[in-house]
This record gives sequence, C-alpha cells and structure tokens, in this order.
Amino acid sequence: MKKFTIDLFVNNRFGVLNRITGLYCKRAYNIESIQAGPTEIPGCTKIEIVSTGDDYMRTQVISQLEKLYDVRKVELLSEMDGE
Amino acid sequence: MKLSGARLLIEELIHQGVDTVFGYPGGAVLQIYDELYKCKDRIHHVLTAHEQGAAHAADGYARASGKVGVVIATSGPGATNLVTGIANAYLDSVPMVAITGNVATEALGRDSFQEVDIVSITQPVVKHNFMVKDVTELEQTIKEAFQIANSGRKGPVLIDIPKDVQISECEYGVAVLPKMPDKPKLPYDQEGVIALLSQAKKPLIYAGGGITAAKAEKELIALAEKLNIPVTVSIMGRTAFPDSHPLSLGLVGMHGSYVAAKTQSECDVLLALGVRFSDRATGNIARYTQNCKVIHVDIDKAEIGKNISPDYSVQGDVKKWIKEILPKLKEQKHPKWWEEIHGFEKTKSKVEGDFHPKHILETLRKYTEDDTVVATDVGQHQMWTAQYYRFEKGRTFLSSGGLGTMGYGLGAAIGACFGRKKAHTVLITSEGSFGMNCNELCTAVHENLPITIILMNNRVLGMVRQWQTAFFGKRYSETVLDRSTDFVKLMEAYGGKGFNAKNCKELEDALKEREHYNGPILINCSINPDEKVLPMIPPGKSVDDIIL
Repeated sequence: MKKFTIDLFVNNRFGVLNRITGLYCKRAYNIESIQAGPTEIPGCTKIEIVSTGDDYMRTQVISQLEKLYDVRKVELLSEMDGE
Repeated sequence: MKLSGARLLIEELIHQGVDTVFGYPGGAVLQIYDELYKCKDRIHHVLTAHEQGAAHAADGYARASGKVGVVIATSGPGATNLVTGIANAYLDSVPMVAITGNVATEALGRDSFQEVDIVSITQPVVKHNFMVKDVTELEQTIKEAFQIANSGRKGPVLIDIPKDVQISECEYGVAVLPKMPDKPKLPYDQEGVIALLSQAKKPLIYAGGGITAAKAEKELIALAEKLNIPVTVSIMGRTAFPDSHPLSLGLVGMHGSYVAAKTQSECDVLLALGVRFSDRATGNIARYTQNCKVIHVDIDKAEIGKNISPDYSVQGDVKKWIKEILPKLKEQKHPKWWEEIHGFEKTKSKVEGDFHPKHILETLRKYTEDDTVVATDVGQHQMWTAQYYRFEKGRTFLSSGGLGTMGYGLGAAIGACFGRKKAHTVLITSEGSFGMNCNELCTAVHENLPITIILMNNRVLGMVRQWQTAFFGKRYSETVLDRSTDFVKLMEAYGGKGFNAKNCKELEDALKEREHYNGPILINCSINPDEKVLPMIPPGKSVDDIIL
C-alpha cells in the first residue's frame, strides 16, 4: 500500500467538490486529507487529495477522475510507501 | 430573438433533432408543458403512467434509434421517480437527456414543497448533470448536455431547471458549443497488436455493447471474416454480430452456450471489442485469461485494466479502429481451430417438454422480421430470449444488462416503438417483472402501439427461485407468485387484447391476431415453474463447473 497525493485542476462550478468526493465514495476509496483553493487561472480551482491504496487503485482513481466533465487535469504529485 | 427559458428549451430540443419526448407534467414544469402544448405539431410528447416508465421509454427510444432519448419530469417525486431509469441508462451507456423542473431559485434549500436536490441524488449515476440558475446559461447547457450524452462512452445527463429560470427571458441562438475537454490517452502499440493477431492459432473475438454504440456491426463482420475468427457476444453486445453468420458462436458468460464458454477457455488470443469484462460475462477472473493473451479495445480509458489487465490495449472508437487496422492485416484461415470448435458444439443442454421457452421464442420468430425490436424485462425470460431468439440486426435486443432492472421492458418497448416509426415491437416479459410497471399498458393503448407482449408465466420468481434451488436447498423464500392475477383480463381492462396460450398452436393463433389489430396485444403463456436457464456457470466459477 502506498500513500499518494493527487492534484486536480477543476472548473470552479457549483458542487464540483461534491462530484470529486462522491467519486471516491462510489468507487469505495478513502480520502485521508483534502484541500482546495484558487489558482491564477480564472475559473480554475486546485484540489489536493491524499489517499492510500495499491497501484491498481491509483490508476483507476486517476482514470475515473479524468472522466469527470469539470476536471481539467489530474496530476500524480507524490507517492510514498505507507503502513 | 428573445424567448422564455421554457420555450428556449423546446426550441433547442427541436434544433437537436428531437422528435419525441417522454414525460409527466407537474407543478415545477408547467411552463415547459405550456410550451409543449403550443409546439405539439413540431414535437410529440408521450404521456406515460409514471416517470420511471418515461425514463425507460427514453432509454428504449435511444437504443432502438441510435439517437439521444429525452425525458421530462417535475421536481421532487417526479425527479426521484426517474432515478432507476437514469441509473439503468448509465450502467448500459445509453445516451439520454433528463430534464427536471425545480422550485424557484429563491425557494431552493428551504425544503420547499416538492423540492429535492436531484443533482446530488443522481450524481453517481449520470455522466454529468447541471443545475441552471441563470436563463442566459440555458442554451449552452442544453447543447453541452447533448454533446456529453452522445460522445465518448455514451450515458445519461440531467438538467435541473428551477421554475423562475423557465419563466425568465433571454436571447436565443447565441450560445456556442464548447469543445469537449482533451484528456490524456493511453499509448497504443499497433505493431504489437498486428503481430499478436497474425501469430494467433486459436483467436476469438468477444464483442460487446461498444460495437452497437459505435454502429460498427458491418466492420466487425469484415474483421471476423478476414481473420476467420469465431465471434462471441456479451448481453450488451447481443446484436453486435448476426446469429446466422457461420462465424457466430453466440452468447458467452453465465448463461452463454457451452461452445462459447469452451472456445473462450481454449483460445490463445482474445480480441475484446467494446466490452467491460463484467463479472456476469467472465466468471472466475483469474482463470478467465490464464491461457490467452488479451487485446482490449474500448473507448473508455478507465475500463482498460479495471477488471482484467490486457496484454495490449487500444483506447478509442472501435469502428474507427477496425477501419484503420483491417487493411494492415493479412487474410487468415484456422481450419484446425474450427475443427476443435465444431467438436465443442456437440455438448448442449437438453430441452424437454412441448411448451419450453425455446419453442415459444422459435414460434414467435416466425412472426417477426429481422429488424423487429425485442425488449425484455429481467430474469429467466430475459436469458432465454438472449439464448434462443435468433437476432440478425443491430439494435433489436433491448435489455437491462448492467442494472438488471425488473420493470424496464414495457417502457423500453414503448420508447422503441416510437424510435422505429411505430413498427411492430415485441416485449418478452414474465409475471414478476411485468407486475412492476404494467401501468404503462395505458400508454401503449392510448398511443395505439403495435406491441406484442409475450408473458412467460411460470407463477414463480423464476431466476431467484432457480438460485434457491441450486444454492439454498430449495427453500423458496418469497418467490412463489401464485397470486391468481388474470393477465388477459388486466390487458382488456386497459383496453388492449389479451390471449391465453398453453401450447405452440394456441400461441400461433394469438400471434396471427396481430394482422387484424394494430394496438397492443398480450399473450399469457403458461410455462413449467421448474424450467431453468441452462447452461449455467455458477458465479465465480469457470467452464469446468458448467451446469448443462
């Protein structure tokens, strides 16, 4: 199991955080920490999510997040061995 | 041109090529229904008995026609009644746009009368959804909704429009459709794929709903013929390949044929086209690919590697991919492989009795055309239809594959009938599923739709009971439905025609009535309650454990 951090660049639209966390919930993945804030690009918000899982889960969660209409970009920021 | 939000919606629907919408009026969509009334010569609204039926009708319309299905419902209970229909379309990747009214923006969040947060409720079962709070955003939102529903992996999109937004006016014809955002794609090793296909000694094609969605039926035939590859299909890809074609092995999976399952387990290269390797199709996932290399072609990146890890993957439209690769492949012949497959064909399930579902479906087939759409509900009758009805053309088998929605069929048949210019449409159902949404008979009668309903009546909840027989020591908990409902009288009460059939002769006599009557007919076929869907590969098992 690894701890990994994902950066999401999303359209700052009504309910977008709900869509992101809802996807984690639907796919039965756990969020350890989450923070969101503005970027220098107008209408674009950055959301940083830390979660724990294996390689399969990491690949799946990135692919599933990329499919969301309001998600512009997904970046895997860091990965480290968890417990 | 300045229009109200409600009128703008109707104009944009017509602009999108929508000729038929399904729905049910209510307090929060009064403006929209007023505009539908004024535009009734340009767009046909089909009033259903229940919003769920309307959602299934929009789904059936989309599957039968290849266009986007549209459903309209009011706020609150109208909107929540759509949820099963939306989830059903989501699991089977059906393009649908659902429009709901909501309370006025100033009343939102106050638990107003008939207010629910339908955007949050439907979020896990839509491709995307919108709440439009400003009428100036409405036109672009509708354009985006149709584009999202009908592009990439198709699916449902919901637009929630508060009442005041329907009343407010704005300029129409000014919105520009935004480009779909570019997302990263998987790398593609074309040479590797060509090399593997060329070396294959025992290749097999496994085709799914992606073939139907991409309208790639012709291309699939060309590919299979050039490479002399046998073709198996999933439930969602049931009409991807014609049954009468010599390369066809038919349905594979839990209730697929022995020859399909055995060929799958013996093949050395599996070419999977537009499939998602559902657990119902694969059985034991570890044993599924132990003897073969897999090439997985799918439009959805997230499907590649989700249930199985392919050796090669192609992310993209399957029709485009076949067209691109076909000239690069050399013609092949596999006489030894085919000899082996013909050997597998000898093992079959026995069919006993005179009025077995197989006989019912074969008799029915004498009275249907190749392009007749057949909708089903969910359960034994659904699997029998997939096994025994001969399908020849694309988009003629409409069935709830992913969600397994009992009560899907009648709504879907109604929608399909409109999607095919009111051509003869068939519904195969059983008393359990039919009981869930038989209220839609009033819609079929009112619209005078030529729907033939074959009700396989075994007086039990057959599929659940079959599992109770096999895995629960015949403890038939709540699966005996002997409730003495007279389905012929029920049909007549709704204004249609009903018939009883206890043998093939009586069934044929009833089917002949179709020539003299244009409305819906129901044929109640009494079948043996102990009849099982066979063969069956128990969940999580493989072909070695098949029950014939």
